[in-house]
Amino acid sequence: MFKHLYKLMWNKRKQNFLLLSEILVSFLVIFALFSFLVYYFQNYQKPKGLDYERVWTVSYDNRQVSKQLDSARLFYDDLERSLKAMPQIREVAYTSANFPYSQSVMNTNVSLGDKVINSVNRYVSGIDYHKVLQMNLTEGRWFYPEDAAAAIKPIVINETLKAEAFGKQSAVGRLFDNHDKTSRRRIVGVVQDVKVEGDYLPSGKAMYTPLDTTDIKWNSFILLKVTEAADANFEGKLYKYLGQRFNNERVEITYMKDLRTAKNEVTLIPMIIFMIVAGFLIINVALGLFGVLWYNINRRRSEIGLRRAIGASSTSVSGQLVSESLILATLSIIVGCFFALQFPLLHVFDVAANVYLYAILLTVLFIYLLVIACSVYPGKQAAAIHPATALHEE
Amino acid sequence: MLKNYFKIAIAVLKRRKFFTFISLFGISFTLTVITVAVAFLNKFINEDYPDYKRERSLYVGTMELRNSKEGWLNRSDVSFYFLDHYVSKLQRVEKMAISSGAQASNAFINNKKIVIEYKYTNADYWNVLEYEFLEGKPYGVQDIENANMVAVISEETRDDYFGPNVKAVGKYISADNINYRVIGVVKNVSKTLYNFAGDMYIPYTVSRQKWNEVGLLGNCTAVLLARTPDDVPQLKRDFDQMMSKVPLPDKEFDKAFSNADTYFESVTRRITGDGENSGQNKAIGLLLALLTIFLLLPTINLVSINITRIMERSSEIGVRKAFGASSSTLVYQFIVENLILTIIGGILGLLLSSIAIYFINHADLISNMRLTLSPAVLAYSLLACMLFGLLSGVYPAWRMSRLNVVNALKAQ
Repeated sequence: MFKHLYKLMWNKRKQNFLLLSEILVSFLVIFALFSFLVYYFQNYQKPKGLDYERVWTVSYDNRQVSKQLDSARLFYDDLERSLKAMPQIREVAYTSANFPYSQSVMNTNVSLGDKVINSVNRYVSGIDYHKVLQMNLTEGRWFYPEDAAAAIKPIVINETLKAEAFGKQSAVGRLFDNHDKTSRRRIVGVVQDVKVEGDYLPSGKAMYTPLDTTDIKWNSFILLKVTEAADANFEGKLYKYLGQRFNNERVEITYMKDLRTAKNEVTLIPMIIFMIVAGFLIINVALGLFGVLWYNINRRRSEIGLRRAIGASSTSVSGQLVSESLILATLSIIVGCFFALQFPLLHVFDVAANVYLYAILLTVLFIYLLVIACSVYPGKQAAAIHPATALHEE
Repeated sequence: MLKNYFKIAIAVLKRRKFFTFISLFGISFTLTVITVAVAFLNKFINEDYPDYKRERSLYVGTMELRNSKEGWLNRSDVSFYFLDHYVSKLQRVEKMAISSGAQASNAFINNKKIVIEYKYTNADYWNVLEYEFLEGKPYGVQDIENANMVAVISEETRDDYFGPNVKAVGKYISADNINYRVIGVVKNVSKTLYNFAGDMYIPYTVSRQKWNEVGLLGNCTAVLLARTPDDVPQLKRDFDQMMSKVPLPDKEFDKAFSNADTYFESVTRRITGDGENSGQNKAIGLLLALLTIFLLLPTINLVSINITRIMERSSEIGVRKAFGASSSTLVYQFIVENLILTIIGGILGLLLSSIAIYFINHADLISNMRLTLSPAVLAYSLLACMLFGLLSGVYPAWRMSRLNVVNALKAQ
């Protein structure tokens, strides 16, 4: 049966070659689209790892803050206390520029014995950082103020980094060397991953280091968790207050909620454009496929009429035409899969292999559905051909 | 002759309406996407408000310091000191517009928060760039020297801060708890113009940053205006020569790169280039690759539809061949027919693109970006349309011309 159908198609290989390449290119476009969608969806399903509601970020110019260590420390301690004393503010924490949903990235390497782990995000965080963001500790603890006196400085890492460094073992109490092995850090806790790049991108490896005295004089960001009572009126007052504290240097207050929306848009808008363009391409291809199949069937009226005359049922006639297109689709899909499989095999991008496998599965399904949808109507039309009229034309 | 072809083409289009619809859909949609993309690129490449003197302008944006042994690099905008101390000494610079990167600040008015992105500029900024003043005037050299607390604000800021269409000149605007006297209001600038977009412009001498600090890295960009367009290549060489003599700030780095770029180069340098390489070729290559991939599907589709339609007309072709029409005549006829189809699709495509552009402008995806169907965009789209028509017409026409007369006639 298949051999026979294949022979029929081979006879018209020139015409079929165009259809074949059309389906192949569509396969590749759809595969790219589904790879993105699967990747984003998998990330979207993971928990956010923080609560961004009612978190304000303050950025300021630190030029007027003393560069003397002691006075800077005093100034910031006092500022933190006064902010926390305001009834509308629940938690306060200083942070480096790369707080969640910000535009900044700060990368470093850590080593564990001989193993070097690259591109670990380093977040310099105040004592109450995890309270402001309501991060979830899965193991150990966050920093204590007393840690400042410890001989080996503490760090908190996220689950992704833990999994890469220690697998399933416990991480608390283990030591990390920094990139050039000049200092060590003791892991005191593990937190759930925080998706800092928005809801659709992975968190990456992360480590949180306490803001120490040498960092503080360069600090220029504060995170605030405010209560429901914090309205625009309060924000205006807070702005004025901060302006005074920083001697009228530049101060800006933003909502973390808005930063998240902006981050997500950066991911979503290109994706939506891609989907619209791919959608139109597919409609285009579907119409083309439909037209060509329909035309082919009209040309084969005599052949179909003959088959009907010698007793083929209408379902078997339409079945033949649909399976012809399916064989054509299968050929394209085999070639397409060959290309698509190179992505996980060669590790072209740093993406888990199962993303591609799901994407390939979905694409195969989609292409088959598309081809069936385009050939069912022409197949039905063929089945409706009356043998007497078809043969009479001849 | 052409008139005849035209008549035939219309007759053929009317005969199989479904195929006509498929072809037109494919062509017009493809063109819509290309036109919108070109209109968007046009925003980055062609002259646009307020930067109208691009043919005699060069843009100085980034400074890159490198340690070639260790592979470190440090890249940022250039410092005011660098522009003032080295670049302004170049002979062929007629005027230089200096501006700092935009910094965001808040202003509170009537319990409403307004985000103001302000830039520090010099006085020549207003001479090099042709901002359209809705009211008032720019600040001059005198204001810079006296460090007057004056500001030029954008229309958007005025509407947010003082209320829609309220006269703002002479009033005070407060940013960072400092009051500036408004002396001018300018029309909004598209955010795609990274170097020129802002909500408020202030004399650089007002800034309490140490703007004259010695060093190469900073947060300024500049536009160098040459006297004539012919001076531009020489100015570029002068700049490179000057750059080779600039002393390096410290021993950590052994190389410094900064360039006076044309506008397009300055855009690609930020995206695909680095200090040494403008990345222009890479960017063009990437765009062409993207275009080819995108055009592949509609072209194959159109080719297969065209072949189907031609085969349908095999009897007509057979008759014409039997009466002595040469293959080249037939190929010519078919290409013309296909071009007619493409042009109809093109017109539809332009209609669709103007609708798409209207919606994009309305949604304000990028702040103050207004896409337009300028003559340049139209020309490019028309070119793409022709190319598309030829591409999808040639192969089917060739197939048709090779049809065997006897078979073609028998098919009837």
